[in-house]
Amino acid sequence: MERVSNSAQQNAPATQGCTDAQGKLPSCAPLANPYVPYQSERPDAYNPAKGIVRGTMYPGLDLPFMGMVNQSELSNTLMHQIQSLSFATTELGLYLDTHADDDEALDLFNRYRELYGELMAEYEAKRGPLTMQQAGANGSYDWVNDPWPWEYKANDKEG
Amino acid sequence: MFVYEKKLQFPVKIRNTNPRLASIIISQYGGPDGELGASMRYLSQRFSMPYAELKGVLTDIGTEELGHLEMVGSIIHQLTRKLSDSQIKTAGFEQYFVDHTAGVYPTAASGFPWSAGSIGVKGDPMADLVEDMAAEQKARVTYDNILRLSDDPDVNEVIKFLREREVVHFQRFGEAVEILRSRLNEKNVYFMNPAIDS
Repeated sequence: MERVSNSAQQNAPATQGCTDAQGKLPSCAPLANPYVPYQSERPDAYNPAKGIVRGTMYPGLDLPFMGMVNQSELSNTLMHQIQSLSFATTELGLYLDTHADDDEALDLFNRYRELYGELMAEYEAKRGPLTMQQAGANGSYDWVNDPWPWEYKANDKEG
Repeated sequence: MFVYEKKLQFPVKIRNTNPRLASIIISQYGGPDGELGASMRYLSQRFSMPYAELKGVLTDIGTEELGHLEMVGSIIHQLTRKLSDSQIKTAGFEQYFVDHTAGVYPTAASGFPWSAGSIGVKGDPMADLVEDMAAEQKARVTYDNILRLSDDPDVNEVIKFLREREVVHFQRFGEAVEILRSRLNEKNVYFMNPAIDS
């Protein structure tokens, strides 16, 4: 299958001289077309703990309203680590959807995905299933056990 | 298919109940630019999208929006926990309470119930992706406005996260347009509709 993201990026001139918050645009472009600068490959990235509180892994896309930014990172519970890694893989996955040839991002995606799997397994062994597929793995059907994610106490407990 | 993960994308932990705020934030659950519309828009547009990368973008962003719908519902639920009799009579919340009690119902803050009229599925890749870019902008502004109206730090942490996701999604839809363009007639991207002509 032809890789389109690469050719799409090649339509634009090279990014030399662009900062991390800038992207590629063609110098001459057909009229009556919408354009958003294409994010350059190998962009700077936050670590997952910072990325999740900022709402993006990419400093170049971190564009807060009236300077309102989340300053403090989440506490270092197992659940918060899982949420951070899950967020990092989601964000990197979206990036890779349009940047399939960025090997550095793919390596990072694989690293976070692996770590995420390990922490999921640790959490499920200690505290119960996070997916129905894992229900019963601890010897009883504990899938329905409280708390459910939308409840205050699910987010309050030190997990 | 979809598999449920028993966790939120980002933690929602709201210490103080606040029915007034709930009656505003409900718009991002079932309002014209809310998360229900976002997920339905992208997950529905997928079916007529002809190119692999763009099917991926719509599936992945649409799926993330379902997670955001759950987060906004969690905010409403926690803001309306254990309400006192006087809190129920909060101006702005009474009209919601009389019909839905402390249930989470997909409606705009104005009281207009969620409507597919607020989303678009045109069946033309360029039209659909440009609709998606506009949708992300409108959702971003709604979150800006919520930040203007809310002074609860527990709520605002979550709102700031959700708002930033709109910015990132806008970027990805913009790149999706570029990928689409690379597949179309160089001189005239409107030569035909690649969803049905090829």
